[in-house]
Amino acid sequence: MDVLEKLSENKTTLLIIPSEEYNSFIVGIAKQVSKNKVIYVTLNKTYESLKEIFNKKGVNTEKMFFIDAISKTIKKTPDQTPDCYFINSPGALTDLSLIISKLLDEPFDYLLFDSLTNLTIYEKKTPVAKFLAGLVNKIEESKIRALFYALNVGQQDELIKECEMFVDEVVDLSKTI
Amino acid sequence: MKKIMVVDDEPDIRASVKTILEKKGYKVVTAISGDDCLKQLKKEKPDLILMDIMMPGTPTREVVKKIKDIKISFLSVVRTSEAEKEELMKQSNIVDFIQKPFDIDELIKRVNKILKD
Repeated sequence: MDVLEKLSENKTTLLIIPSEEYNSFIVGIAKQVSKNKVIYVTLNKTYESLKEIFNKKGVNTEKMFFIDAISKTIKKTPDQTPDCYFINSPGALTDLSLIISKLLDEPFDYLLFDSLTNLTIYEKKTPVAKFLAGLVNKIEESKIRALFYALNVGQQDELIKECEMFVDEVVDLSKTI
Repeated sequence: MKKIMVVDDEPDIRASVKTILEKKGYKVVTAISGDDCLKQLKKEKPDLILMDIMMPGTPTREVVKKIKDIKISFLSVVRTSEAEKEELMKQSNIVDFIQKPFDIDELIKRVNKILKD
């Protein structure tokens, strides 16, 4: 999939990724957008491991700023490093929303949100959908374009249904490949 | 009979790991979160805790600090770097780090090894 083309068509896109190919997709997408300034929200890999994966796969992360909601749940972590902001847990939706809102005022091009599926470990689908709706409103007012990831595992169908009304387009990669 | 506590917020994982380990002759109790684990440890004394690293409630790093003298193996859907994994393993009672999704035979092998040592 040409991610940059999709991002140019829509302000917000929900990308449904087949779980078995999830890792190769996130690397491929990051590679495509890496020439631009990107905010990368990670809810399932630590910042360190994500950078390790990206570096190994040749993804340039120089223009990326990460928001890591995982590291603090498993180890002692500073609040911030030059290219990453650490929040307490994926369930800290207010903190997550605040830091993203702050960054939306900065000159970033894209927001990659990885992923809505992980939020459902901490929150029911309705608060997750509300969080998404609020975030989409803020994105609409900014210059940033956003890609939200979700996995196509069975129990996520309802989450996807709740969320799809808020974004400009839903792209199901299992149907396009 | 060795006792194992499986701590995971996903009911499917709790049920399947319980069934697998019971078939191998272990006594298995389950907990739905770190907080539930701590509560149950007031009456249960397992030989090993298999603990999901990412659950709602008290963060795992805080939960493991409160557990003394019981071996803990992390079950993790979260990807960590090799350095982070090594760091986590340095905590006194952490004995293994099993990445999800795991192979059943591999899980049994690792549990057997931990409880034999």
